[in-house]
Amino acid sequence: MTIKRLLQRISFLLVCVCLTQLVFSQTKVITGTVTDDKGAPVQGASVAVRGTKGGTTTDANGAFSLTVAASAKSIIISSVGFSQQEISITDKTSLTVALVSNSQALNDVVITGYTTVRRKDATGSMTVVSAKDFNQGVITSPDQLLANKVSGLEVTTNSGQPGSATTVRIRGNSSVRGLGNPLYVIDGIILDGRNARPSVNLGIGGFGQTPDANPLLFIDPYSILSINILKDAAATAIYGSRGANGVIEMTTRTGSSGAVKLEANASVGYNSGYMKKYDILSEGGFLSALTKYNLDTLSGTKNLNKGSSVDPMKDITWSKAIQNYDVALSGGNENGKFRASFLASSTPGLIKNNQLNKYIGSFSGSYKFLDKRLTVDFSVIDGYNTENIVLVSNTAGSQGNLISSALQWNPTASYYNADGSFTNLGNGTPNPLMLLKAYNDIANVNTVLGNISASFKILNNLVYKFQYSINQSDGVRNTNVDGFVRGLNPIDGNGLGIISAAGLTSQVFDNTLSYNTNLTPDLKFSALGGFEYWKSNFNNSSTGAQTFNFNLNELQLSTAQYTDIIQNGKTVIPPNVFKDITTEIQSYFAIADFNFKDKYFLKGTFRADGSSKFGANNKYAYFPSVGAKWNIANEDFMRDNNVFSGLSLRATWGITGSQDFPAGASIDQYSYFSYGSAGQINAGNPNLKWEQTAQYDFGLDFSLLKGRVNGTIDYYNKDKTNILFQGIVIQPAPPGATVWFNLPGHLINKGFEISVSATIVEHKDFSWDLSANFATNNNLITNFYNPGSKNPIAIYTGQINGQGVSGTLAQIITNNQPVDEFWLKPFQGFDQKGNQIIGANPQFAGNPNPKTLFGVSTTLRYKKLSLNINGGGSSGFLIYNNTATSVTNISGITSGRNIDQNAFNSAEQPSSGVGASTRFLEDGSYFKLRNASLTYSFGNIGNYLKNLNVFVSGTNLFVITGFSGFDPEVNIDKSNSGYPSSSIEYIPYPTPKSYVVGVNFAL
Amino acid sequence: MKISKYIKIFSLLILAGLIGCTKLTESYKTTIPASQAASVLTANLLLTKAYNDIPAPFVGQDEVFSLEENSTDESLVPTRGGDWDDNGVWRVIHNHTWNADHSQVLNVFNNLNSMSYDATNVLVQTFGASKEQIAEARVLRAIALYYLLDIYNQFPFRNPGDTLLNAPKVYVGSAGIDFIISELTTALPDLDPANGKTKISQDATKVLLMRCYLNRGAYANRATPTFSDADMQQVITLGNSIITGGKYSYMANYFGNFNFSNSGSSEAIFIYPSSSGLTVNNPGMQARWMMGYHYNEYDGQAPNAGWNGFSTTSDFYNSFSLGGTTNYSFNDTVIDSRIGRRVSSDATLTANSGIRAGFMIGQQVDQNNVNLKDRKGNPLAFDPNIAPTMIETGTNLEVTGIRVTKYVPDFSNAGGSYYSSNPGNSLMFMRYPEVVLMVAEAYMRESAPDNASALALVNGLRSARGASTLASLPLGPSPNANSLVDDPNSLLAERGRELYWESFRRTDLIRFGVFLTLWQYKPTDDPKYLLFPIPNQSLGVNPNLTQNPGY
Repeated sequence: MTIKRLLQRISFLLVCVCLTQLVFSQTKVITGTVTDDKGAPVQGASVAVRGTKGGTTTDANGAFSLTVAASAKSIIISSVGFSQQEISITDKTSLTVALVSNSQALNDVVITGYTTVRRKDATGSMTVVSAKDFNQGVITSPDQLLANKVSGLEVTTNSGQPGSATTVRIRGNSSVRGLGNPLYVIDGIILDGRNARPSVNLGIGGFGQTPDANPLLFIDPYSILSINILKDAAATAIYGSRGANGVIEMTTRTGSSGAVKLEANASVGYNSGYMKKYDILSEGGFLSALTKYNLDTLSGTKNLNKGSSVDPMKDITWSKAIQNYDVALSGGNENGKFRASFLASSTPGLIKNNQLNKYIGSFSGSYKFLDKRLTVDFSVIDGYNTENIVLVSNTAGSQGNLISSALQWNPTASYYNADGSFTNLGNGTPNPLMLLKAYNDIANVNTVLGNISASFKILNNLVYKFQYSINQSDGVRNTNVDGFVRGLNPIDGNGLGIISAAGLTSQVFDNTLSYNTNLTPDLKFSALGGFEYWKSNFNNSSTGAQTFNFNLNELQLSTAQYTDIIQNGKTVIPPNVFKDITTEIQSYFAIADFNFKDKYFLKGTFRADGSSKFGANNKYAYFPSVGAKWNIANEDFMRDNNVFSGLSLRATWGITGSQDFPAGASIDQYSYFSYGSAGQINAGNPNLKWEQTAQYDFGLDFSLLKGRVNGTIDYYNKDKTNILFQGIVIQPAPPGATVWFNLPGHLINKGFEISVSATIVEHKDFSWDLSANFATNNNLITNFYNPGSKNPIAIYTGQINGQGVSGTLAQIITNNQPVDEFWLKPFQGFDQKGNQIIGANPQFAGNPNPKTLFGVSTTLRYKKLSLNINGGGSSGFLIYNNTATSVTNISGITSGRNIDQNAFNSAEQPSSGVGASTRFLEDGSYFKLRNASLTYSFGNIGNYLKNLNVFVSGTNLFVITGFSGFDPEVNIDKSNSGYPSSSIEYIPYPTPKSYVVGVNFAL
Repeated sequence: MKISKYIKIFSLLILAGLIGCTKLTESYKTTIPASQAASVLTANLLLTKAYNDIPAPFVGQDEVFSLEENSTDESLVPTRGGDWDDNGVWRVIHNHTWNADHSQVLNVFNNLNSMSYDATNVLVQTFGASKEQIAEARVLRAIALYYLLDIYNQFPFRNPGDTLLNAPKVYVGSAGIDFIISELTTALPDLDPANGKTKISQDATKVLLMRCYLNRGAYANRATPTFSDADMQQVITLGNSIITGGKYSYMANYFGNFNFSNSGSSEAIFIYPSSSGLTVNNPGMQARWMMGYHYNEYDGQAPNAGWNGFSTTSDFYNSFSLGGTTNYSFNDTVIDSRIGRRVSSDATLTANSGIRAGFMIGQQVDQNNVNLKDRKGNPLAFDPNIAPTMIETGTNLEVTGIRVTKYVPDFSNAGGSYYSSNPGNSLMFMRYPEVVLMVAEAYMRESAPDNASALALVNGLRSARGASTLASLPLGPSPNANSLVDDPNSLLAERGRELYWESFRRTDLIRFGVFLTLWQYKPTDDPKYLLFPIPNQSLGVNPNLTQNPGY
């Protein structure tokens, strides 16, 4: 359509609108008060005449006054957290409305995928979690709010360290490559998903890669109003080539009309030890092990009984106050609203010295101009966090990390010599307290997210909106290992300092035009078209040195760190700079929505994505979706039924994509290398394109007993094709060269999801709400062959680390198996001498992906006291215990290392070889009590203090599991050549149990 | 007029939307797209890259070294309790039960091919390489191809500028060795005669050509090699041109070829250089001694002085016993200095540790001659006897096996970097005695053997090593010898004594027809193990590769 023709049509419509406005000539004034179901006034509820925009909002006393046309029949009153109500105003000028709190929020308006829909009209499979249903307790990043809250959503914290990355999977493990994390969208802004905390791989000293940071740390969890989890293609296809792993949309709180309000939260708490301990020998057990294995005969310095008694797992922990303060100011009138908030928090980890401090300020506003035709919204978030990281790496080799040193430390050995220096046992296990003191690793990351948008009502039903946002994140990290560490070659006597920096910039520019109309009195139609441009840059650099002149003796330490005087280092580690190729994505999209009599809904979406990453032969990708919904409850034949207050059926289909491969993969690239050289680095594939997921979904939503029971059941089938795959480059090829292909195989995830919530008891003084969710998933790779061949592709991943198992891989990605199926040699027991017998050939050994996920939460209220409990878990999967294989195995006892109880109890003797096998596969099923909170609501006190609550909350209170490690909810990154692993445990940062007490109120 | 104002604003906004459109071309920072590479990069940079590919396959203990040495009587890695099982990778190499999924078989294939690729890239015309640069690149590539042929009997080959998405053609067996010879012959005259030992020189090219000619008969038929006079004559001519060139002479200190200052060795023909304490260009040779040393070998670094792995067999050690005993002591006067142990000393080494270069048997001491202990407090005394299964479970599991110091730890940096990450030892890639031994062998392999000339060369070498001169020396082991491969009285044994742990042994045993005979800790064998398999992973993507028979 040419612009001219478009303008002609718009002009015509404008004329029509002007004519209709003439009709509203006579008016009347409606006044009233809005309260909640307990009679307390509701501030900021919106009041509007049906079918019109505009309207007003209630003040602090819940009062409103609205001028309406004399012909107006009814007004609609809505407020977040309450069911919307339509009240007849025929013959009325004054009313009192009591809103009903609605835990299901079925009638909420949800902002999703560039548009706004009524929750009950949504055709796609989407779960909305609002703030009052979030997990509570110690929360450092928004994704933790959701654990076990949504059927089919698996949120796995990769480490017990506060602020560490999480693995988030929606509807199963859908990636053979990359993280497979969903796309994060905050207030309509698509985030990059990476973060600017520099990653450090301490290859020097063999410590390995430290775990990644969470990319969402800059978002204040208290400022989130609600989170949408988009699951099926009808919901996600509008995000096109990035929607295939599901989408998580976060909406932050905004100001509301009325007097300026201050809300405050404050809490203080502490970690109270391990959620679950790893069962190693105590001092007494260690001594009996020495006797059992005839090791009690050594004398002098070789005597393994050092005569002392310590508990290293306890001695590496500390108890320091967890503190959280959050203040928000908001207010506004009908022409403008603002909200400002500030969060300061300090979250010490369970392990000594480990701490995450966050400072987040945000300011947002929304102002209307030109007779409210123009709305300008803006927001700025600035999150600064500083982290003191401890040495708990994922891929530590034979020297291990802090956790392995504590597990292995001889429990009869004192940490200190008589002169105060650290004991060095000389058995390859570093002194854990020495590691704590010598390792100093501080990362500071500053992230700014700025956003401005203007939406202009060209006509009352035609709105143009543009939005620009920039997300800039910069991180600096100083890593020091003091030269006084003993026995850790080559740091021992030399020291190591590394300064690294990272930067991430992403920008989004959107234009949308939306239109809605009634095509016939019964058929409503709305449409949206848009253009989006997205650009992202990432860089990471490091420089370091070794061989320093100071901090080489723990008794003569200076306060300076190596990274403060790096020029003192005699040996310079060659600097390393990585700058990602700029990624640009340019998209065109459209949405069309039909609603016939609120009974039949049809929605179609379409997106065309062009990406600079795609190969020259495939620059653009197209992603359609279609969804239909039949709202049976609105049918005439359902009118008189007393059972269902809501019942609807959904069916959707659509295609989404994933472009989770590095920029530049489509063309041949060269690079300069150290030592004055240059060469080719990859094999470019000009045919490279997106990974495509076709998904269908059938859903049933129901509401029983006047809304006291609500539920949703879905069946889904996701079929991923054109699988993005870092292939085997055909030799001869550049060293370490990668090549990316799209393979014709299928990765299928299918399953059921059920979620039910019920108000079991509802009484003035007592109420009991219970909600539960359950999901199954079946994950399978099929037709996974090399192009033009019938040989199944086999990719090995899942590194097993430690002494004696170098180079062992425990998982396989291949045809007719789930992703990351365990591939291990069979364990066949022990021979007569107590040596373990391991079969010669590896075999398929089990699935690391949970077959079922479940979550449950309940709220009990007695008068003003309420108890909220959230928990959940997963089952039907195996975990490989790499800690037991190579850290606490029996052979350690001969050199005076501590071993685990299982090894001690077994028939194994210390001469037994170390090896990876099915012996260390354990059932991972678990149930975890994530948090429980007891809250006393004082309500309003006096004229000023409003909504005062005092609470005590516990996090990770217990776990029920057969798994012997610290936490069955484990995903240590053991990827190999970029292929991810699943469910391997290796000397992780243990999960703490913690308690906080707090207060919140408004002024 | 209200409406027209809206239309104007609306048009402006639409315009703003259109400005965002982009052509979606990628902008590069760290990397250079192929289309720009020709104008930005110089051939010199690409050639340096090809040189820098040498350490990957040739330095690590788990690369070419492992396939060429652990598969023979010279080296093995017993599993010691919790150490060195590594999924059995080491034992299967020594006892000939490896398969096509073996990680070292894969890594060596990939690393050698990468060297071949980077060298080929120098030949892409648009980079404008000089005649000299092209010649160096061709020889570097030929080195990679030679080892591929030696190990796998085939190598894939790309022409300069070929797309990496296509499966390249493959040279097999004799066609492969003929191609390598033609490459080397073409390159030879273009090389600057002034090139030193860290560059591809005419002499280095000649050494590789000699290896090709000497082994051509074996590569044509590894089960029963035959040798043509023409090939042997080539070996003699090329070798004599190096010998008479007079550039090289025997080192008085045999282990001076392998210590931190070995870049100054008078025997060195081609080395990959290194400098003490510098990370620049350092190939990390410390693996070559740490792989064998006990944790407590050097008390200054205990328990991280070594990885307590690699050993040699007692049969190989006994092949030094030419008509006598290996039980050498400090008091012996005439002794083969290559056996090292108590007889060799290195001032820097002795001042800092009790380590003596060469074979390490019995009680180990520190720099003050105080006896060292193992981690359990038992004497650190290396015992030649290894468990037949190569899986040690006894109380002496830390000390079984004779250890070897071929490369000598770098203690030159008294400041404390010792032998850790940045030792000064260069990788000794080609060494003069190999030339002498190849010429001697060629004399003996002619249809009319010239044993006298051969013996003169061998005795010259033996004298330089402090070993007794011989009255005669047969070519191969006597069929009556106890252990065929380790009969001390043969030219094969002399090669072992001179070149042990320098990655020649497997090729030698095949050429001498004894690779399939049984030796210590290898109870059975099968002819298929004359070749390593093509890695399954590589076979899956290049249909032009054919798996070697039996795999």
